[in-house]
Amino acid sequence: MIIAARRLSKHFQIKGTGIIGGGATLKAVDDVNIDISERSVVGVVGESGSGKSTLGRLLLALLKPTSGQVLFNIPDDILAEYDSAIESQDFKRARQIEQQYSIYVKRGNELKKMRREMGIVFQDPYSSLDPRMKVMDIVIEPMVSTGYKKGDEAKSMCMRLLDEVGLPREFAFRYPHELSGGQRQRVALARAISTLPKFLVLDEPTSALDVSVQAQILYLLKEIKNTFNISMLLITHNIAVVAYLADHVNVMYAGKLMESGPKREVILSPTHPYTIALISAVPRKLTKEERIVLKGDPPNLVSPPAGCRFHPRCPYAFNLCGWTSDEVATDLEYLLQGKYYAVFGGEIEVITKDSLSLLVKGIDSKKLSNVIEAEKDSTKSLNSISNIQDSEEGVLLNLTKFQSPGLYNVEKGKKVSCLLYSPSILVSSKENNQSTKQRVGL
Amino acid sequence: MSAILQVRELKQQFYTRQGIYKALNGIELTLNKGEVFGIAGESGSGKSTLGLTIMGLLPRNASVLAGSVLFDGIDVVAPIREYASKSDHKFSFRKNERIIKKLNKDLAGVRGKKISMVFQDPMTSLNPVLEVGYQIAETMVFHQPNVLAMRRLARAKARRADLEEAIRVIKSTQGNEIAIERFFEEKGLKGLEEQVLSIWRRPDLSDARKEKMILSLHSERLGAFESKVLRMVQEKGSTQGWFFKLPFISRFARSALLKEGYRKAVELLSALEIPNAEKIVRMHPHELSGGMRQRVVIAIALANNPEVVIMDEPTSALDVTVQAQILDLVKHLKTKFNTSFIFISHDLSVLAEVCDRIGIMYGGRLVEVAKTKELFESPAHPYTKMLIAAIPTLEEKEIQVIGGSVPDMRFPPSGCMFHPRCPYAMDICRQMAPDMIDVSEGHGAACFLYGQKRASE
Amino acid sequence: MEIEDKQIDAEDISALIKKQGRRWDNLKVSISVFMANKTAVAGLLIFLVFIADALIVQFFPQIIGIKSPNLLVPNFMDPVPLPPSPQHPLGTTYPGIDLLDGIVKAIRIDLAYSFFVVAVGASVGAIVGIISAWAGGIWDEIVMRLTDIVFSIPYLILALAVGFILGRSLWHMSIALALTWWPLYARYARSQTLSAKELTYIEAAKAGGVSSTKIMFKHILPNVLPPIFIQISLDLGSIVVIFSTLAFIGFIPNANIPELGYLTSLGLNYVQTAPWAVLFPGLVITIFALAVNLLGDGLRDVIDPRRRS
Repeated sequence: MIIAARRLSKHFQIKGTGIIGGGATLKAVDDVNIDISERSVVGVVGESGSGKSTLGRLLLALLKPTSGQVLFNIPDDILAEYDSAIESQDFKRARQIEQQYSIYVKRGNELKKMRREMGIVFQDPYSSLDPRMKVMDIVIEPMVSTGYKKGDEAKSMCMRLLDEVGLPREFAFRYPHELSGGQRQRVALARAISTLPKFLVLDEPTSALDVSVQAQILYLLKEIKNTFNISMLLITHNIAVVAYLADHVNVMYAGKLMESGPKREVILSPTHPYTIALISAVPRKLTKEERIVLKGDPPNLVSPPAGCRFHPRCPYAFNLCGWTSDEVATDLEYLLQGKYYAVFGGEIEVITKDSLSLLVKGIDSKKLSNVIEAEKDSTKSLNSISNIQDSEEGVLLNLTKFQSPGLYNVEKGKKVSCLLYSPSILVSSKENNQSTKQRVGL
Repeated sequence: MSAILQVRELKQQFYTRQGIYKALNGIELTLNKGEVFGIAGESGSGKSTLGLTIMGLLPRNASVLAGSVLFDGIDVVAPIREYASKSDHKFSFRKNERIIKKLNKDLAGVRGKKISMVFQDPMTSLNPVLEVGYQIAETMVFHQPNVLAMRRLARAKARRADLEEAIRVIKSTQGNEIAIERFFEEKGLKGLEEQVLSIWRRPDLSDARKEKMILSLHSERLGAFESKVLRMVQEKGSTQGWFFKLPFISRFARSALLKEGYRKAVELLSALEIPNAEKIVRMHPHELSGGMRQRVVIAIALANNPEVVIMDEPTSALDVTVQAQILDLVKHLKTKFNTSFIFISHDLSVLAEVCDRIGIMYGGRLVEVAKTKELFESPAHPYTKMLIAAIPTLEEKEIQVIGGSVPDMRFPPSGCMFHPRCPYAMDICRQMAPDMIDVSEGHGAACFLYGQKRASE
Repeated sequence: MEIEDKQIDAEDISALIKKQGRRWDNLKVSISVFMANKTAVAGLLIFLVFIADALIVQFFPQIIGIKSPNLLVPNFMDPVPLPPSPQHPLGTTYPGIDLLDGIVKAIRIDLAYSFFVVAVGASVGAIVGIISAWAGGIWDEIVMRLTDIVFSIPYLILALAVGFILGRSLWHMSIALALTWWPLYARYARSQTLSAKELTYIEAAKAGGVSSTKIMFKHILPNVLPPIFIQISLDLGSIVVIFSTLAFIGFIPNANIPELGYLTSLGLNYVQTAPWAVLFPGLVITIFALAVNLLGDGLRDVIDPRRRS
């Protein structure tokens, strides 16, 4: 395995207004596992705020994780040993393995050797090349810094690399501002593969480029993949790009992995509701299929939704997905003040008591039950109300305790992080789950 | 299908330190009323320049060599073009700047009112220190203060009985616009119809709530002084003139009109499917998400019911799922607002979603124009074919790579712009530029493969 | 994973190097941008005149008839300031010092010390700023607070203190000034570095295995230097003014060093009867400061929005 990431998390501290503490944490990446084997291209798809760029940097040790581990170039049997050591809590053995393979413990020459085996191509071709350096110097810098090649050897390697990426050799003496976006990306690529690395991270390599240039770069990437047998991590928001290049696809949302599996399976038969929406959102030529338009906005990473992070926007959310009293309160208020205004007048008050219970004043429980029954299908949060009872302060609503989805194996080698596929829910009530799925229209 | 905007033979260039950059080389374009016309192209094709030129938003080093942009009975680029032909070699930036400044002044009544533009990045097209409601209201106060005044006066004049009757009319005609308009006009309450209809059409309220809100529109009292001022605004049709420069009056007029503008902004945002519009209008751009911001920008563009809206890459800065929302919105806007759109994008698949007709630009020229369906089913021009083949889609197909790169518009190729990269290039393609040749009904391609028509030099 | 081994030798590479002519295009454009700014060109010319003066007095004083470049030549026979005349083109000041002679000598002295102050201040400040910004975290905070403390020391007080301890002379004055001047550059360099740090090519260098020190010197420094150069050129003017001010208020005990501020102070008692004695030296200071400012502005235009049409 070239890259094995385990329970990787990265939380950023946002400076608060206080001098001491008082800051919030932005949970950019949360508990992510990824495996990248030799000669494979793994795609990571997500929108802004999904954490995919942060993930890319973590895998290259450009960022230190808040927790978790990344092992590099580890033989499969030792990796298996590591996983079982963690599970059986044999931390001594685990640490031994980490000492040898973790990317975060390397220093000095070890670190330089590791850097030789890795490379990255960034999204913006305009800021990823030092404007004051000639192309030649840019391309040979990694070779020289890691001690891979020196002097004339490095220079002639540069020429060969320029050939490989399809640039004329004179370009070696040009400055970045004399090149177009596509040409710059080729230079960035030449630099990234200059030390013949085992692992390449491509962070949105074509997003800033025109369609025809994008096609050229993608084609080039495919060639390089075949010629050099490099493993790649392809980060993009464009699923079509992943469809072209990748073998394996991971879908991220709000810092968590939503779905993972072989490319064909994920794209042709997406399982996770977010993946379904993402694929349906790709503008397509002329198909008049029902497109799923997600309501709402990309998530807030400082206080992400509880339980499953996708649940506020999920068209298939049900009662266990992570509803809290805040969300139910907002939705109830909206309904009672809006659609049901005539029925109840304006005297209703909704108060949240704690994260799983709330109080509604100015209404009787029977009427409220009717409203909830009627609106359950269109307003998903109401499904989490498990219990309605009268009390002296008003009507007390209790919510089911939500669960956080793990990563579950589903058919065709895919893994999904969605409670609809949780085996415990499947097992506990098979019919229940069937009807849940039916009810939510899957 | 009546033409609402016409571009004829437009040739435009930029004078730069590195040479003369020939951005537009003979554009012929007709925009019909009520249609969405897409313009597709890569960087260097001139598509953004075309949008800006149509609006007359040109920098001082821009010069229009020939051609015209006919809109609303005027030729937008005439003054710049005339100066260019007069000055010839003695082109002075300063003089050009002065002409452009004068053009801006002349167009002030048209821009934002009859034709408006939506840009790519909503964060930079909105003022970060002003509330979004203010920015929407501002454009209405500037361009149609009389409408705002009329609304306010109508609300002051209306009685509860009038509104009760109005509700009956609405219910009986099922919200028929014309009937309601006529109703209010007969009652001398012109200006109330859009307020009433906007409430009626909101999806997030119950019927009972709507009725309550409509009924609250009556008898909003106005002092004698205030109503006099507003009446003057309504009659004059604007806030120009010495009267409105007087201290109290100007302040009062402005604040009253802005308040009314805020109200109308709420109506607009609801029409654009923003929930809780009353709260949103009081917020600042940075408090809103990308999709909301872009909706605000679109609201500003539509506030004065323009005839044409030009959208320059409106969804490129947005996430894919948000982009889907906005595209959905644009499709609804076609019918709701009866506006014609020019949609500029580099993303053909986006254009396929919303446009009626699409024009492909390359090297400052339109190389193909066709109805959307036909363009994708039977593309004619070699560039179009290759562009479509180069887009990665979800199917597993091989991407067709177009060799070469877009031409440097300082030194454009001779004859047909695409010939250096075209696999079908013939001798004539090197020598002459082809004109738009009809491939089929309403489908034109500028390529000698389909005929021998030459472009006039 | 092998790339096809093509024979590439040094000759190929040098042949390609020869094809380069376009390097100079860059410089040509910069020059034309600068030349378009008439005021900047004027500033440059005036600045060059001053430099020429300083160089000539330094290396070939005989050409213009200067015999003692480091001393003012008083004439006690005729101490009262005389108006401009053929023998004294700018007049004289008390006690009988020819103003033209004095000013020509003073320019060299002022320029030299000012260059020194700015050079030291800029180098020390830039290095401190860059390292502090690169290190970040708590070290950055500490260094910045230190900078703030030094920043808040008024140069006047420090100059007086240094003069008191080490003795009053131009040399000590410049040391004092340099000590108070570096924080400005530290701040400036720090903010430039902080923004450069976020640039992707820095990340790329890190990913390529370049060490921190190398990144600082190869990537950050060259991008931080141009704005600093601009600041230096602007500061030259300020320093000369400050220098003159200190000399003017009597910082120099030795009454005979040619220095613009000192020259100005000599004529103070006669300002009503012989205004030229105060006017001319003062004017020279002002002109220099102005010229250098215009020059700095012109440089800024070249360096920042360079590729404008």
